[in-house]
Amino acid sequence: MRFLSLSIGARALLIAGALLVAGATRADLPADAAINAAAPLQTMQPKVIVNSGRLEWVPYYRDLTAWPTLSHQDRRSTPRPRKVKLDAPVRGDPARGRDLAMRPDKGYCIACHQLPGEEWPGSVGLSLERYKSYGHADELVFQQIFDARAFNPHSVMPPYGTFGILTVEEIADLVAYLQSLE
Amino acid sequence: MRASIACLTLGLFAASAVWADPEATSAPYREYAPMENYRPHVSGDLSLSGTYAYWKDPKNLDWRMAGNPEENWKLNWKFMDPPFNPAIHGGHFALERGEALYKSLNARGRFARCLGADKGTLKGLRARYPMYHRTLKKVAGLEEVIEHCAAQEGRVLQNGSYDNSAVSLYVASQSNGMPIRIDVSKGEMHAAWERGRRLFHMRAGRFNLACASCHTHQIGLRLRGTVVTTPYGDAAHYPVYRTSYQLQSLHLRFIECNLDTRTQPLLPGSRAYTDLEVFLTALSNGYPVTVPSERD
Repeated sequence: MRFLSLSIGARALLIAGALLVAGATRADLPADAAINAAAPLQTMQPKVIVNSGRLEWVPYYRDLTAWPTLSHQDRRSTPRPRKVKLDAPVRGDPARGRDLAMRPDKGYCIACHQLPGEEWPGSVGLSLERYKSYGHADELVFQQIFDARAFNPHSVMPPYGTFGILTVEEIADLVAYLQSLE
Repeated sequence: MRASIACLTLGLFAASAVWADPEATSAPYREYAPMENYRPHVSGDLSLSGTYAYWKDPKNLDWRMAGNPEENWKLNWKFMDPPFNPAIHGGHFALERGEALYKSLNARGRFARCLGADKGTLKGLRARYPMYHRTLKKVAGLEEVIEHCAAQEGRVLQNGSYDNSAVSLYVASQSNGMPIRIDVSKGEMHAAWERGRRLFHMRAGRFNLACASCHTHQIGLRLRGTVVTTPYGDAAHYPVYRTSYQLQSLHLRFIECNLDTRTQPLLPGSRAYTDLEVFLTALSNGYPVTVPSERD
């Protein structure tokens, strides 16, 4: 097994992360992907026009072209599981972490997990309401968010770090928030 | 003061040893949710979510459950199938439009034959879709065939468009109450079922989720305010009128599923979506066609 070990600062890691989920080019995408014809590359969504035989396509507000699709013709690989080793203590901001946990465009932890002070939580994941009482080390919590597949290849939790959904600083903020829940 | 992680050591599990043989390296690396065994019949749900017991008989739904937000998901939303409400919803308008379009398209009787209608009658046709289409030389869903056959009549009815779905709705209405019956035991249909089953478990997109991540392994649990339902019995009411959207074909629903789970969607009629349609329709085998339906 090839094992690449890097010892780098947070900023350098961001660049490394960006390289793993690089922006797609038109050639990367399968022919049956719903994308626009003109530049720049953009995810499109259908708009149904009443009493019309034509389907209109409009830009979708998120660009999703960089990740593998369900197409049989998609030749791009899924980013593989990554393990993180922390060399220094996590020092995040719990308030910012809470904000990230609620935002649909960021962590959106509340979609699956219970968190204090928020209605309509999900129940797919375990309750995080008193997370500190589990007594997990920061490094474990960081890894679980960065790429939960390191612990369980069948985990349904999105690999927030590996897939470039959150930066390492944002994950540190989430770790600080979770470890503040007593 | 911005929080910082001074230093991280990052290990990259390239796992190249696993993929060292040339054949494996030519295929892209993919991950799959644990594979479940499915029966190509709606009653297979009894060994998955068990909710089939509540919705198997459309005429005998427990309306107290429909009014209870903790329990309504167990009815698999069948309480929004006709005739759930005598008030007219958008699906009824689409059905009228579809009937008029169909009659003008089929003025010479060619359109019905192209769709695969026996002796020109539409009765039971929708219950046999998707099927292997001889002219297209592949397995195709009803909407893809409507697009093809309309083109033969010189008309543009793009797959997923309102008018295409309206014609599909009218064709389906002629099979209302008839159980879906597609045979996925052999040939091209079996191959499509197998590909669809595999796709249902294949993880994709920005969240690395498969359909099965939730709809097989998390049924009955909440994602924010909504409850995850079973994949069984869900293909019988398409095209459907969506209160929050418009008339929606099954492939347009797949696009919505993809977007909701942060996955780049495909075009209606794509091979992958048709395979998924075959898989999901087989999971509705034995359940009656019910249109026009509404869903939130």
